[in-house]
Amino acid sequence: MEIVQILAFGILMGGVYALLSSGVTLIFGVLDVVNVAQGSFLVFSALLTWQIWDLTGIEPLLLIPVMGALMAFFGWIIYRGLVKRVVPQGPGMTVLLMFGVAIAMEGILNIAFGNKFKSVTPPYFTQSLQIGELVLPYPQLISGVMAAIVLVGLFFYLKLSWAGRALRASAQNKDGAALVGISSIKASSLAFAIGAMTAGVGGVLLIIMYPIYPATQYDWIAKLLGIIVLGGMGSIPGAVIASMILGISEAFAQAYIPQWSAAIFFGVILVVLLFRPEGLLGEKTREDVTT
Amino acid sequence: MSALKRPANVVGAVLILLLFLYPLVGSDTRYFESVLIVCMLYAIMASGWNIISGLAGYVSLGHSVYLYIGMYTGAILGKMWGVPPMYLMVLGGVVAAAIAVVVGFITLRTRSHSFVIITIAVLLLFMTVAQNWKSLTGGTDGFIVKQPEWNKDNPTTPYYYTFLGLMVLTVALVAFIMRSRLGAGLVAIRNDEGKAASIGVNTTLYKVTAYALSAVPFGFAGAVYAQYLGFVTPTTALAILMSVFLVLAALVGGRGTLWGPVIGGFLVWGANEASTVLAGEFSARLLIMGVILILTVMFMPAGLLPTISRFVHRRKSQGSAVAFIDQASIAQTSDVAIDSIVARTGQSTDPAVPELEVKGIVKRFGGVTAVDGVSMTVERGSITGLIGPNGSGKTTLFNCMTGTFQPDEGAVILNGEDITRQKVWTRAHEGLGRTFQITRLFKSMTVLDNLVAPLEKTSVRELVAGRYSGEEVDRAREVLDFMGLAQFEGQEAAALSFGQQKLVELAQVLMLRPSIILLDEPASGINPTLIEKLASVIRRLNDAGTTVLIVEHNIPLVLSLCDRVHVLAEGQVLISGTPDEIRNDPQVIEAYLGPDHMLEVNDV
Amino acid sequence: MSEAVLAMVDVQAGYGGGLVLQGLDLQIDKGTITCIVGPNGAGKSTVFRVISGLIKPKSGTVTFLGKDITGQSPSTVLRAGVAQVPQNRALFPEMTVHENVLLGGYAIRRDRALLKQRMAMVEEMVPLVRERAKEHAGNLSGGQRRMVEIGRALMLNPSLVLMDEPSLGLDPKSVAKVASLIREMAASGRTVLMVEQNVRLGMNLATHGVVMEQGQVRLTGDADGIADNPEVATMYLGKARED
Repeated sequence: MEIVQILAFGILMGGVYALLSSGVTLIFGVLDVVNVAQGSFLVFSALLTWQIWDLTGIEPLLLIPVMGALMAFFGWIIYRGLVKRVVPQGPGMTVLLMFGVAIAMEGILNIAFGNKFKSVTPPYFTQSLQIGELVLPYPQLISGVMAAIVLVGLFFYLKLSWAGRALRASAQNKDGAALVGISSIKASSLAFAIGAMTAGVGGVLLIIMYPIYPATQYDWIAKLLGIIVLGGMGSIPGAVIASMILGISEAFAQAYIPQWSAAIFFGVILVVLLFRPEGLLGEKTREDVTT
Repeated sequence: MSALKRPANVVGAVLILLLFLYPLVGSDTRYFESVLIVCMLYAIMASGWNIISGLAGYVSLGHSVYLYIGMYTGAILGKMWGVPPMYLMVLGGVVAAAIAVVVGFITLRTRSHSFVIITIAVLLLFMTVAQNWKSLTGGTDGFIVKQPEWNKDNPTTPYYYTFLGLMVLTVALVAFIMRSRLGAGLVAIRNDEGKAASIGVNTTLYKVTAYALSAVPFGFAGAVYAQYLGFVTPTTALAILMSVFLVLAALVGGRGTLWGPVIGGFLVWGANEASTVLAGEFSARLLIMGVILILTVMFMPAGLLPTISRFVHRRKSQGSAVAFIDQASIAQTSDVAIDSIVARTGQSTDPAVPELEVKGIVKRFGGVTAVDGVSMTVERGSITGLIGPNGSGKTTLFNCMTGTFQPDEGAVILNGEDITRQKVWTRAHEGLGRTFQITRLFKSMTVLDNLVAPLEKTSVRELVAGRYSGEEVDRAREVLDFMGLAQFEGQEAAALSFGQQKLVELAQVLMLRPSIILLDEPASGINPTLIEKLASVIRRLNDAGTTVLIVEHNIPLVLSLCDRVHVLAEGQVLISGTPDEIRNDPQVIEAYLGPDHMLEVNDV
Repeated sequence: MSEAVLAMVDVQAGYGGGLVLQGLDLQIDKGTITCIVGPNGAGKSTVFRVISGLIKPKSGTVTFLGKDITGQSPSTVLRAGVAQVPQNRALFPEMTVHENVLLGGYAIRRDRALLKQRMAMVEEMVPLVRERAKEHAGNLSGGQRRMVEIGRALMLNPSLVLMDEPSLGLDPKSVAKVASLIREMAASGRTVLMVEQNVRLGMNLATHGVVMEQGQVRLTGDADGIADNPEVATMYLGKARED
């Protein structure tokens, strides 16, 4: 049953990864920008959650909508204030800008929270759910389930709401979207806001599971980048699949060959990129370099 | 930028002199030496980065990986052989370059967002491997480096001068590249990679070479740095920060310039150090550096040196504003004998073999068959026209000939040789030159620079030789003279009118000494006078032996200029013949005015 | 009495430093199908760009239904009642046909009843939209895509429809279908302005023709007259005889 145990664990974590990477994927799909600051957004939300919990003792899960909304607003401001101006300069510069944001945020978080690990420990922190021989720790279980719920919500939002339609349209054909009157600035702002929102929710989920400190963002840059590249830079289903792959392989590697788990993931990514530069489910862009 | 070259060199030389003198002259220099050491390290790294990212325009955000490679090479081999890492710095550079060649070859084939992200992924992969391969690298505990005897009291001065030396060498390397053909090719690639390929620049070779060269300074510096630190630890956060900071350094100073990255290195690390001292904690420093990065990217992406240069330029050239140069001021075509310009040596001149031939070309895009089995020849020494209405497939066929597209079926044969699978630059070397309907000159370069950029072959000499060396410059001037463009030699290509650009583009192609020139709608967008001039140039070239193929919509021009005309319609050859035959053929008129589908299909 | 739906007076426009339109005068009457033809570089696409607001003319005026729309933004022009069916792919390949057409009503999305009504109207005029409602737009053939694009453009009930090379890349059957739809649009009171490469087809379909050359209008008149005019052939192929 150990395998099922590990698998279950991996799926739960995969769910959390999926939520976070879908935010980055959405931003990329609509703006062609890779948000390398997503890790810092995540940590920001996590530490803020900790602060509120520390002061009020409130049940952290209640903060999910709060953090989601807060980070959405934050993301919107970052886009309007900073990103919008730099996008015309090209992908390299925009990624550089996001690094600047990430580093600045880490600095602020260090000042505000110090360089120490913070952990949120609600009463169920050390408890587990037992189903037969399966032992699922509550924090992971709740995080996985909540992530799935938010993901499903996001899925329906994109599918059924007009805003969601506008986002999908912008991602699929910018000119076509402009033709029907969809403002590309509004679409980009919304995409950024939603992307940041996923980090907001993810932050709450994360800090219930693990201790966090500002420099944690780098681990997340690595993971998210890997997922996006593997899954195809603009494809949300691809990101979900890649997230599951990461979650499950991490769980197995952690159990059997702990030190190589991360290396294997990156190795796989580079090999995939060798043969499919556009990722697993990404779309091929132009025909040739020398066109 | 050339106006500032001298002042910048002076500033650079003064900087180096001051750095050289400081430990000799100053007292209690240890602290500042240690700060300046890292400043110089960043200057070295930013300069190296500049080669691939500033000159060639391929932004790498994971370049610190090569520093780590240098560090580990020096440390690990040093321990194995009982040698202090610093003495192995050459090896550090070699290993870094070798790995860069492999990575570059894999990743530089495509141009997309992928490259930036892949460079980050490579860095992360390396750090992960270093963290986990305990037996080789010591893992996260780090690797203690073997120190030489003289290191007992931890002196900084030897390292200071070593880094200074490396910095001077790196600047020399970059200066050399910038003045060489390689550098010119890289700038061409940055301006317009597809165009660079069409004038004979082997873009893959150039990019991989640049990428490898960019890693060399990192490798050298890494070995020295490892010894300076005394240990090597793989911290991902630090590696990422380092990569970002070195890019910031190049940005702040001015990427693409010689001294910009150097000055930027000092500014960025200086700011970093200052904020540590003044603000105290690691955290405030991060905030300050992050904000500097954001502000630089948003408001001064060109960097300090170019901004200053532009300011100075504006001051100087006030009053002598560059007027939109009048087309009438193009001189008459000179009587310069152009045989020397266009003669191609070692060419088979068997008149029976057509210069260019296509057989059974089929090209599909999605569900549409643009070219549906076309076979035709371009006879040697002819001026051949290729016409047809929109959607006839003539442009697609043209692009199959030039190598821009790969045909799904069929073959392209140049002078008897099948070139169907040949790369675009190889075709240029084989004697096939082409122009573009919408001109593609290298905007940031002068006309003369544009003219010496084309390469007849790929060779080491072509990489290493100076931009303006050899007979190319003289020939370029002759060609410009022939076209009547001599006065525009020093003009920035972007300042010319569309018509003048067309002539310059043709001049560029002539530098390849092509046996055949493919002209893509040469008359589009220019006035009749210029069309006449163009026609006369084409006739003169043809008289001197160059074969010409023209794709055109301007039928009168084609009919007056060409010996033979092929008419394409709906992806197939409709008719071929002399201009007179074509002119009066009712099928041709029919094709242009459009098939009357309405008469074929009944609608109520 | 025919009323002018669109009037362009002495329009000069271009890109960068150059002028493509060099004093263009054009008048389109309501309910007509007008076809603009002319050799490459004549400026046909530029005319559309000026009308739809993508380019601001350097001088001259553009009046639509009496209102001055010179230099207005594309969304303003769209709302005023001008829809465009561009030459290239304008659909959203991973969305269904239904959703693609629905998005044509983006500007009126808040009015559900109106949206439903328009959808029904479009389905009526373009049966394909209902027949293939659930298919992904990316899987349709060129002709089918063109029909969906037109359907999408009709969602805002435009008074003027600009069509850029509607027959480009289509097989004869699809061309016939598109042509019949265009005629239907005109019959229901809409005005169609199209650019066509295929002169014969264009004049057969249109009621009026406009021949452009080098940024100006050279000939206007009834489509039949234009079709038979030998000058047109000359313009395309140059002088039939040199001196």
